[in-house]
Amino acid sequence: MARNEPRVMILTCNWNAYHCLDEAGRQHLSLPPGVRHLKVECMGQIGPSLVLKAFEKGADGVMLVACAPEECHFEFGSRRAAELFKETRKLAGLLGIHQDRLQFYQMAAGEPAELVARVRGMADSLAARDETSIHGEGAAE
Amino acid sequence: MTNFQPIIQRTRAYLCLDCGKCTGACPLARVDLDYSPRRIVERVVFGDPVAAVADPQLWACMTCGLCSTRCPSGVDFSRFIIDMRAEAFQAGERGAYTHDGILHEIMRLQATGNRQERTGWIGDDLRVSGSGEVLYFVGCLPYFDILFSDLDVQPLEIARSAVRLLNRAGIAPIVSNDERCCGADLLLAGDVASFRKLAELNVAMIAAAGAKKVVFTCAECYNAFKHDYPSLVGPLPFETMHLTELLAEQIEAGTLSFEPLPGQVTYHDPCRLGRYLKVYDPPRAVLAAVPELELAEMEDNRERAACCGSPAWINCGGYAKQVQREKLRQARDTGARVMLTTCPKCQIHLRCAARDLDDEQAVEVTDLIRWIGQAIG
Repeated sequence: MARNEPRVMILTCNWNAYHCLDEAGRQHLSLPPGVRHLKVECMGQIGPSLVLKAFEKGADGVMLVACAPEECHFEFGSRRAAELFKETRKLAGLLGIHQDRLQFYQMAAGEPAELVARVRGMADSLAARDETSIHGEGAAE
Repeated sequence: MTNFQPIIQRTRAYLCLDCGKCTGACPLARVDLDYSPRRIVERVVFGDPVAAVADPQLWACMTCGLCSTRCPSGVDFSRFIIDMRAEAFQAGERGAYTHDGILHEIMRLQATGNRQERTGWIGDDLRVSGSGEVLYFVGCLPYFDILFSDLDVQPLEIARSAVRLLNRAGIAPIVSNDERCCGADLLLAGDVASFRKLAELNVAMIAAAGAKKVVFTCAECYNAFKHDYPSLVGPLPFETMHLTELLAEQIEAGTLSFEPLPGQVTYHDPCRLGRYLKVYDPPRAVLAAVPELELAEMEDNRERAACCGSPAWINCGGYAKQVQREKLRQARDTGARVMLTTCPKCQIHLRCAARDLDDEQAVEVTDLIRWIGQAIG
């Protein structure tokens, strides 16, 4: 993979978000080559620590995808995810990680094309940046 | 296999008499009967150091240094633990990170060379400068402001008060957006590589800014610079001091005075500022210079002061809470309703523990710099 291909990590919950990603695969909707996916049970379990670790390990962008709040498998999980994301975004802001590198998206079931479009949009906007990586000069490639 | 001899030599652990004074003094051993500093040293010196590296008790020590004040052989047990943790970290062992490990993650990210946006707290009423003799090292306060909002710590008020006090003393300090976490908690958690990287970045930033003096409001940042940085990056090309030391100098010279601030307070000596750096008098001199402010000392103070209970953002649990409650009890017994400290992390830990107490037992825990900021009008 060329280095100018942004490395985007998508975190999905096991329910609406993963279902859409799986369905996108079935429909042969392709994702940019720099995208890596991690499935967790519910996005309500993901606080700032894991998201920032992805950046530390070299991600150029992170997208968290949860269920629509009223469709959450764990009732309050998606709302909890939104609360945690607020804190993550504030910490990321201090750390100089700009908003376009970090996205949170709550989705209905059955929107694979929409999900793929958002991931592509994020990868494209990161590729268009002058600096792809958040790390300064001398950081490991 | 790792050679443990250098650790044993430089911490004087080979002189351990096995007398157990350390365990007797240890605030953790008092509440956790399975924990014994003596046994940890003994195991490395006479027993099986490789097994000691895998021992979860290695991460329990608060590195408060109280044991070393009692040790007849002068064994530097805190350094012993820190060095052993570095070996354990290399071997893949970890302490139990608190707060989901977010604080260590923030520190490690800062070691990668990212460009932060951390100076948004500086209002128009504060005079800061891009160059000059004095740099104010803010530390992790902007991050604590987000992470500990539930404890109503308001850590940025410490920073604002510090700049106001410096302004009052005629100094417009440099506050750099390129400052990074000092990394002390990474060192305490065994991650020497990231600590070294942060040390290099911070020293380079300060050298580039041209500051001759760096002032701290965090006891742990100050200790990292004074104690630990020189051993990794060589002698520092600038002087370091805690803000209370600078203020005490100004008070002594007659160039700084305060408005009356009636009331009684007690003062918690943070382990790093006290036992590590022996800065006991300047905070007290600053408090003594505030008219109508009375200092009531706790039963254990200065080199005997009890620890805040959970350094390095690892291994905080029921035992830490008991250590903290004992500290709060001593504070309450002075009759003061306010306990001041000079370490933002002590403040966070003790405020957390104070939440469990009722009004009769509780004291307000806040920062000395913030408190005396009220006395400059």
